[in-house]
Amino acid sequence: MFFKPLDLTTALRPLLLPDETLLFVQDAVGLYEGKYKIPNYQDGQAYLTSHRVCYVATEEPRKYSVGIELKEIDRAEHQAGFWKSSPKITIFPKPQKGKVDKARSETASPAASQTASLYPGKSLSPLPQATSSPSPKPVNVPWICPICSFSNPVPSNFDVAAPAASTHVPPCLACGIKPPFATVLKAAISAATSADSSFPKSSPLLAEAQAPRPHDDQPGTSTLNGSISCPRCTFVNHPSLVECEMCGGPLKVGAHFGARNRADSPAPFYEQTHIANTEISECIKLSFRDGGDKTFLERLKGALIQRKWLLLHAPPPPPPQSTTPTPNSTNEESLQPAPRATAVGIAGLEQRGLETRLNNQLVIGNAFEDLEALMASAKQIVALADTLARESGMSANDGSAETQAVLSESAAALGMVTTKDMLRSGSANLYLSELSRNLAEYLTDDRKGILHREGGIMSLIDLWAVFNRSRNGVELVSPSDFQRAAELWEKLKLPVRLRRFKSGLLVVQRYDWSDDKTVRQLLEWMEDLRQVPPEEPVPWDWMLFGRPVTAQEVAQRFQWSVGVATEELEMAEDRGALCREEGIEGQRFWRNHFLTPEDQLGETPRSYELRPPMVDSVSN
Amino acid sequence: MATPEPAPASTPFTFPSTYNFPPFFTPQPNSNTRQAQLEKWSSLIQSWCKHHRQYKLSLVEAIDTPLFHNATLRKRLDLREARAVIDWMAKSEAEGGGGRRAEWIDAASTGNQVAWIWWRRPEEWADIVGDWVDGTGQRGAVLTVYELLEGDATVSQEFHGMDAEAMRKALNVLVKRGKAQVFGEEGQEGVKFF
Repeated sequence: MFFKPLDLTTALRPLLLPDETLLFVQDAVGLYEGKYKIPNYQDGQAYLTSHRVCYVATEEPRKYSVGIELKEIDRAEHQAGFWKSSPKITIFPKPQKGKVDKARSETASPAASQTASLYPGKSLSPLPQATSSPSPKPVNVPWICPICSFSNPVPSNFDVAAPAASTHVPPCLACGIKPPFATVLKAAISAATSADSSFPKSSPLLAEAQAPRPHDDQPGTSTLNGSISCPRCTFVNHPSLVECEMCGGPLKVGAHFGARNRADSPAPFYEQTHIANTEISECIKLSFRDGGDKTFLERLKGALIQRKWLLLHAPPPPPPQSTTPTPNSTNEESLQPAPRATAVGIAGLEQRGLETRLNNQLVIGNAFEDLEALMASAKQIVALADTLARESGMSANDGSAETQAVLSESAAALGMVTTKDMLRSGSANLYLSELSRNLAEYLTDDRKGILHREGGIMSLIDLWAVFNRSRNGVELVSPSDFQRAAELWEKLKLPVRLRRFKSGLLVVQRYDWSDDKTVRQLLEWMEDLRQVPPEEPVPWDWMLFGRPVTAQEVAQRFQWSVGVATEELEMAEDRGALCREEGIEGQRFWRNHFLTPEDQLGETPRSYELRPPMVDSVSN
Repeated sequence: MATPEPAPASTPFTFPSTYNFPPFFTPQPNSNTRQAQLEKWSSLIQSWCKHHRQYKLSLVEAIDTPLFHNATLRKRLDLREARAVIDWMAKSEAEGGGGRRAEWIDAASTGNQVAWIWWRRPEEWADIVGDWVDGTGQRGAVLTVYELLEGDATVSQEFHGMDAEAMRKALNVLVKRGKAQVFGEEGQEGVKFF
């Protein structure tokens, strides 16, 4: 199993694959490899999708975010919180094909191999990973270095029967001098003999005591047959003791007990800050500092059972225009274009209509049989509802055709949408921040280009309507939630922002868009208009004053809604760039000639600062 | 102005270019723009009155003149707006107004209908009269107001043919400064310069 790098969306959420759906989100989650915390991965959001478990850090999310594919997960276990220890979910990887010795990979920590590559000098088990004959029991017995009297562990692959020349003997860990072969051999033999007698007694405890040992850098702590020798007085204690029986000194048994102080948890092998693409050989843990573990585990198990990732390579679902679940082959055949060719004209149309109706009946019938079925065919139902709505044309009179198109297309985005049930009840803040990210993604999505199509600016109410309609009437967002989510954009540093006009109208804009830019745009356009002689003679000097614009014209020109155009014009007026004229034709806006002195009136455009960019736009 | 127009109404009044700017006739909501607009209106009204040798402006009468009604644009300043402009002109600059370039005449009886338009403030008129008196060596002389306004000696002067009431206001300023004394009855006043 690997930590995979994540692609993040503009809203700093994991980019989902096609057909991947978001199942659950939880914040304040930390990441562990084995028993150790991974630095920089201690505060973030965990996203459970139908294909992956993703972690995105709150700080520097682009740097610290990883994903694990569900297909590589064997099982997940829950570990309840206790005192200061947060509840955790342990995720075990599937055994990898190349490594059959499962016992080995579970008992001997993967840290050994990693440490060996990262810190060759410090490793306690410096044996190469390529073991020719794995010993049946990993016996860690010390041999005493004759030079420095440091007790080194005998390599677990040390074969007593093998000839001295063919066996690789590692050098002493303290002084680096290769020991004489006999020293190691003696130690191995004595270990083998004592192990035979002591193993039956202490075997239940052995695994526990041995598992953490390779992480243990403490040089004084050596173990013999699972017993632990005290680093202070060298008394050999029973492995289940945490304090020395003789001197009362602490025994470094392992990380089990080190978990008491969360902050100091050493992470010996992940000194590097970026863990993407690193292999997880033991297990990883998600620590839920703020709860949510139960639901996460429940959904994770559900996702593991459903195995949605298998569908990734399945043939694509039928195109939306046929809206068929294709539950049986006969129905599928009836939808093929062949019968359409045979019956032409009105009869053909009628036949087609009949087929579609039958088919729809089937879909609806199947879907409502029970809830499970409804969930399974949700997508089809949504697609069907979509086409029905389009056919009936009931929504044809509100909104532009483009917005309609956006609406129908955005049904595809349904899977991307955070709903309240994806989150633990009560975590309103997380819901809002997720909704906020959701909205930002929805707005900046280039495929739909909603914001772009609306001229880069859109009133919050329009957005609310479009967004809710794209949810097809399911899990609608309340206006207050919506507004609060929109207000979070600035805080979450998302690429859109909420702006309040003087009148109180709230609009959504790109983050980098400013009033100055809008004013410049407007003035440039009016300057362009001034160059063109009016179609009908006008009573004023058009060469001097140009031509007035109405909110409608501005809305058309910049693809804004009329409300937004009015607000933008008034904003420009407020800044003194424009002035208004009220007459029988309605309200029209002019470039502000009041603020230019009378004698310079004619020359203003020439000395006008916006002249150069305007020339550019004309030449383009 | 050294040389007064011989026949004031014969040459057509040239309007400033803003007069043909349609937003000129719409009150601007932006305070900066509004201020500039009012200044332009004020200077237009003053130069209009100066051109036509008008000292009082009756809004009801003026509202249909080209001053407030731009026939080519088919735009006009309505009475309320015109009154607002005069109100602004009547305020001193310290109050954010147009420097007392206008003054309502007897607001109670006329109901803000007629106003002095001071294209020269009474103080400025007083200066001009005072300068003329000094320049012609008439200090200590006694003149009637009629002489000042219609006499042959003042033909070349700007205040020749000026509104009698306006002249009285200017003379009152001189009286306050201690440079003149006005005596006699209404319509028969004489003035003595010191």
